[in-house]
Formats: sequence, structure tokens, C-alpha cells
Amino acid sequence: MPRFGRLCMVEPGARRGRREGGILLSLTSVVALLSLWEVAAGTGWIHEAFFPRPTVIGAQFTALVREGILGQHLSVTLGRLLWSFLVSALPGVALGLVLGVWRTAREVVDPLVAFVYPIPSVLFLPLAAIVLGRGEAARVATAAVTSFLLVVINTTAGVRQLDRSLVEAAMHYGARGWRLFTKVLLPGSLPWIFTGLRLALGLTLIVVIAVEMVGAETGLGAWLWLSWQTLRVRDMYAGLLVIALLGMAVTYGLEAVRRRLLPWVQEGESKL
Amino acid sequence: MQETLRQAPQEKEVALAKPPPKVVVWDLEVTYLVGRRRVTALQNFSLEVQAGEFCCIVGPSGCGKSTFLRVLAGLVSHTAGRVEIRREDASRPLTAMVFQEHALLPWRTVLDNVAFGPENRGIPKAERYRHAREILAKMGLSGFEHAYPHQLSGGMKQRVGIARALANDPEVLLMDEPFAALDAQTRNLMQEELLRVWAQFGKTVIYVTHAIDEAVLLGDRVVVMTARPGRIKAVVPVNLERPRTLEQKGSARFAELYNEIWYLLREEVDAALREAVYG
Repeated sequence: MPRFGRLCMVEPGARRGRREGGILLSLTSVVALLSLWEVAAGTGWIHEAFFPRPTVIGAQFTALVREGILGQHLSVTLGRLLWSFLVSALPGVALGLVLGVWRTAREVVDPLVAFVYPIPSVLFLPLAAIVLGRGEAARVATAAVTSFLLVVINTTAGVRQLDRSLVEAAMHYGARGWRLFTKVLLPGSLPWIFTGLRLALGLTLIVVIAVEMVGAETGLGAWLWLSWQTLRVRDMYAGLLVIALLGMAVTYGLEAVRRRLLPWVQEGESKL
Repeated sequence: MQETLRQAPQEKEVALAKPPPKVVVWDLEVTYLVGRRRVTALQNFSLEVQAGEFCCIVGPSGCGKSTFLRVLAGLVSHTAGRVEIRREDASRPLTAMVFQEHALLPWRTVLDNVAFGPENRGIPKAERYRHAREILAKMGLSGFEHAYPHQLSGGMKQRVGIARALANDPEVLLMDEPFAALDAQTRNLMQEELLRVWAQFGKTVIYVTHAIDEAVLLGDRVVVMTARPGRIKAVVPVNLERPRTLEQKGSARFAELYNEIWYLLREEVDAALREAVYG
């Protein structure tokens, strides 16, 4: 009997409750970790020189933000991130759409994508520096390569997963050629395109930071690396914090855009 | 090409008092390839449908009844024979189909789904929206203009599917088992709704179903098809008075028609089953 009652409870309301609980739970985990860290560093369990207390890191972070140093590096990194994202996303979506509808092109390009995609992106930096010179262009291009492929792969999959019967119905109601493309294929694959963009954005940030660590004088990656090498550990942690916050901000920003643009996608499932 | 093929000659021998039929299908054959095997879906299929008629087609699964609709809709091309749909107005499409799984575009609101056909024909926005709203009102969908398909129940979705077809104002309305995916109660309501809408719009309807009671309730005639390759086995006129209501399902005449069609259909269903097992 009680089991039956429970089964009836698992309705939308109950599920939503669980989701809110999940957010609370993850917050407690963060708070618990920080408290543990604070206590461990304060009592000397862990070496404060390498693991400064979170409150100390917080104070250093605030000081650096006030001085405007972190802001400068942030704006440099953000600029690179946005350029790389733009350079990978726009052509990525375009090529992905073409490959989605054009089988021959797909067959030609597929092995190339499979070949380049697994190469760690940072390794393109020397090549990019040879071709584009040792400047911003090379950094941006390096961070864009793999993201571009990610966007291509997801966009192609988005077009391909479109329900045949939907396309047929749209054609029956007079959507052909370019109209079919803009009114059916593109909107129908947008959820997948956004998944690709989201993955690409995260990856682009990773690669931009990595490129800055090995090949730039400014930017959060360069700041982090320099802090580490000169053993300014608190600065290093402050840099890590900014990078984490930046990653979160751009991901949530893109998510907000997606919600705005795709009000028709059901929450929790990408069912068309 | 297809257009001209499917268009009727303007004048036939008009000596007869009877108006020319709306749809003429003569010796239709459709074959298609499954791997290397050529399968015949339809053969020697001939049918005439009068203007304003509600023509139901029943047949065992896989008999080609849906294929027939898809030929009329221009989604499948036939390999032999002739299909003609008499056009009254060159600006109107020949057919509009209501699909079994509604096939609404999930990223479009109800209003934009219904206005989709006119939009593709270049009708200005204000006009196509006005027309779409009118039809939505007639379908009892006012207030749902800005909902997305996923927010609607199955029955409501299919109402939108019908509204989309009507908004395109076709010469012939094609319906491919539109209520098959609905639960029994909703199906009953939708059948009544369809009878009402049909009386209001006066469209020629070709309606494919596997439910005999549905065919008898809705149709002026019920075409019974054979197992594949699909041919016409019999055409049963349904002489129940109109306007029809669900209550007629309880009448003796209804039961008689039901049994007559079931009797015709039964051996075809058997044949189809046997082919499914041994073929």
C-alpha cells in the first residue's frame, strides 16, 4: 500500500522538488569543502604555503580586483575567448548545415574531421604561429580549431536527426529549397547546434587558458602560470577563481540565450 | 510534371447529368525497391471520388492504403496508371494531408503551424494570420494560438493538424489514420468534431483508416482494399442518414454495415498475416 502511494507521488511536482533539493545539496557540498579546507589549513593539516585558507584567497582576490590587475587579464582572456568562439561557431554551423544535407560532402569531410578532432588543440599553436605569425591571430586560431569541429559535428548530427516525416510534411505544405532550409532544417537542428556551441565554448576557454600559459604575456592563463613559477600561490588561486567564474558566466549566458531562442524545447528532454 | 499529370482535363463528355468526379484514379500501380527486391504496393487500383464526398478506405496493414494517399499528396510517384484531381481554382493546392502522427513543426506556435501552407504560398502575413485565426476558431482552438505543440494533448495536436490542412484550402483533404494514435474517448470526440467540420467546409475527403466503425460512421462510401498488392476488393455505400452522430453506432443498420465490411476484410487480414509470417 505505501508503495502505491509513493508511485502516485512521482508526478511533476515531486520531481521539481527533488531538483530544488539538488541545488541545495550541491551548495552544501561546496560550503563543506571550503570549511574543511579552512580548518585544515588553519590547524596546519595541510601546508598553508601551497593551500592558503579560502578566506585568505578571498581577501587576495578582492585586493587584486580592486587594483584592477585581474580585470585587465580577464578582459584580455575574454577577448580571445569571444574571438575564438566566433571564429569557430559561425563557420562551424554553416559547414555543419551543409554536411547535414549533402551526403557526398559529408563523406569527403568525415575522415578529415575524425583525423584532426582527437589532436589536443594546444598542439596547433606552433603550426598556427608559423602560418599566422606569433600574435593574437595564432592564439585565437589555435583555440578555435577543435571547437570548430565540435560545432560542425553537432550541427551535422542535428540536421541528420530531424524526423523524416516532419520534413516530408513541411514539403507537402510547400516548403522547398531555401525555404525548407530556413524554416525547417535550421530551426529543427537548433537544439543540437546549441549543444555543440555550449561544448565548444567550454573547450575554447580551456584552450585559450592553455595557450596563454605557454604562449602569452597577458591573460588569466599567463597570470596563473607566472604566479605559480614565482610561487605567488595566493595570486594563482585568485586566477583560478576568476577562470572558474568566467567559465560559469559564459556557459549560463549561452544557456539563457538558448532558452530565449528555443522556447519550444521541452525542459529536460530534447524531444522534438 | 506531377502537377500536369495530376490535373484533370477541363472537359470530359459532359453529356451525362452527373457532375464530373473530383478525383479519378485509373489503373494505378506503385512499386518500390526494398533492398534489391521490387515490391508492388498498389496494382490495378481504380477509383472515382465525387466532389464533396467523404470517402473512407479500409484495408489490412501494409495494403498500400497510405501509399495511395501519398500518391495523391505528391509525396510518392506512381509507376503506372493515371491520377487526376479536378482543379477549380488554380491558386489553391490540390491536396492537403492530415498525418497520422500530426507532424506539426514543434518550433512553431499553433498559429504559425496553421499558417504554414499559406506562408509558403506567399500570402501576406496579416491575411494568412486572419485566415488561420478564423479556422482555429472553427476548430475550437481559440486561445491556443501561441501555444507550442508539445504543450497540447494528442487530440488538440490533431485538431491543429486538421486546421493546418483546412487553412491551405485544398481541393481534396487527405487524412491518413489521423485518430489512430488517440485514446478511444478522444477518438470518439474527434470523429464527431470532424463530421461537424466537414459539414461546415464541404470538402472532398479521402480518409484512410483501419477502424471499420470509424469508416462507417464518417464515410459516404467505404472502399475495402485487398492485402498487398493493394487492389480494390469492394466499395460499400454507407446509406446512413446525415448529419451523423455517435448514437448511430448503436443502430441495426450500422451493425449490418460493420459486419458486411468486416466479412470482406477478414480474409484479406488473414492473407496479410500469412504474408507477414511466411513472406
